[in-house]
Amino acid sequence: MGTFDAIGIASTGLTVHRKWLDAVSDNLANANNVSSTDGTAFQARYVVATSMDYGEPAGVQVAGIELGDPEGRLVHEPDHPLADEDGYVRYPDFDMASQMTQLIMAQRGYQASAAVVDRARESYQSALQIGKN
Amino acid sequence: MKSALDALSMRQRVIADNIANVNTPGFLAGRVQFEDALAKAVSAGRDAVVTPQVQRSLEPTRENGNNVNLDTETLSNIDTNLRYQVAVRSIDGGFSAIRTAIRSA
Repeated sequence: MGTFDAIGIASTGLTVHRKWLDAVSDNLANANNVSSTDGTAFQARYVVATSMDYGEPAGVQVAGIELGDPEGRLVHEPDHPLADEDGYVRYPDFDMASQMTQLIMAQRGYQASAAVVDRARESYQSALQIGKN
Repeated sequence: MKSALDALSMRQRVIADNIANVNTPGFLAGRVQFEDALAKAVSAGRDAVVTPQVQRSLEPTRENGNNVNLDTETLSNIDTNLRYQVAVRSIDGGFSAIRTAIRSA
């Protein structure tokens, strides 16, 4: 048990939610990537979080990244330079609404952990005043 | 009083853990119970030392198996913070009384 553990635990929350934000923004940035039907489409990244507990609460960690469907969705765009002989190209196949929802969830989770850091700091600050007056 | 301070600090950590895991699938919120045990120990006149216990909340979960409530956790966070400061004041008061006694001697 460390001295300022609550801050450390909240910081694991900040880290995981930031990674989630990174993944979502990467997905959104690549939403319109086109690839040829020979290759794979851009695969959306999904952060898998698990809680840490070593007998004491220890926060949260990124357990891994799951990748989305490499098939993507085939779109008929015969004018596209990457189109195959039938005129198809691959676009990434993920749900934009779900990504936007995840963006909000990750942002709110990040803000919540940031608020915890503030409050924990206040508590520790007051403990440092013991015996001062 | 030190027991209360330790337990409140533990609760602060558990709340930090709950909020860090607000979006973790399958996570059950932790709860720290110590008030009843401490009150009992105090009224029994024993050395009022209690070990806080962390229990997992059995409230219904959302569809991802998580039952952390951000609003209750935030309230509990603020509440614990204030209680902690009250406990600090009271311990501090004890020390300053001792200091006054030393000075007047």
